Amino acid sequence: MKLSGMSFFQLASQRMSWLGARQAVISENIANADTPNYRAKEISSFDRMVQARTPTQGLAVTDAQHIQTTASAPAGVRVEADDSAWESALDGNNVVLEQQTIKSAEVAGSYRLAAELYRKGHELLTVAVTGIR
Amino acid sequence: MDILKSILTVAASGMQAQGERLKVVSENVANANSTGSAPGEDPYRRKIVSFEEMIDRETGTSGVAVAEVSRDESSFELRYDPSHPAADTDGFVKVSNVNTIIEMANMREASRSYQANLNMFETGRSMRSQLLDLLK
Repeated sequence: MKLSGMSFFQLASQRMSWLGARQAVISENIANADTPNYRAKEISSFDRMVQARTPTQGLAVTDAQHIQTTASAPAGVRVEADDSAWESALDGNNVVLEQQTIKSAEVAGSYRLAAELYRKGHELLTVAVTGIR
Repeated sequence: MDILKSILTVAASGMQAQGERLKVVSENVANANSTGSAPGEDPYRRKIVSFEEMIDRETGTSGVAVAEVSRDESSFELRYDPSHPAADTDGFVKVSNVNTIIEMANMREASRSYQANLNMFETGRSMRSQLLDLLK
């Protein structure tokens, strides 16, 4: 039996990898909150990741020395500029710590939800197979 | 590399950079009253930290690093103190261009940013442990 073939588990694990990628981008934003000319980043929506028939790929890497820009992002996720930044500082940096903190808490909560759902699905299967709760 | 692990490295780079900034602030505050010791000699010049985005070649994630520690080239103020060893012929001593109030503001900002990075680290760690809990 392949768990990843069942739509529920596939969706939950996709959701978790999307949330992981989003959290990584938020952590980059927070780390660079005081870097001049740094623009806040955000990743493409979860909808797009689920609907993507063919995963969007970055530049082809044919040599170990090539820059792997998409190595950290899962397939179907694109890192783009964040247009929703609340304000921009004089040095050209538009990271707002408060905004990023809200996002990060949101992501952590959703991640927890997805992880718990995955676990519940697993328990459900266990009950179905063994009959023991 | 594991994406959740990259959260930890990026947050750690942020904490390191803010720590470096705090170190420079403390150097400035410590030397706020340092003057020269010979007549007309320049006193302590304020240091400034600037950051830059640091892209990790291996993972493509962008952390932060201290780009350079430069000197504040603004002019020194003069204070009348004829008995001071660094006083010039008119009795004026050049005093350092450190403004302690600005340094305090800088310090608070650095410590808040440090806190934000620390929170990010914590969140990344708890997400990781939730993932590992699925194995139980």
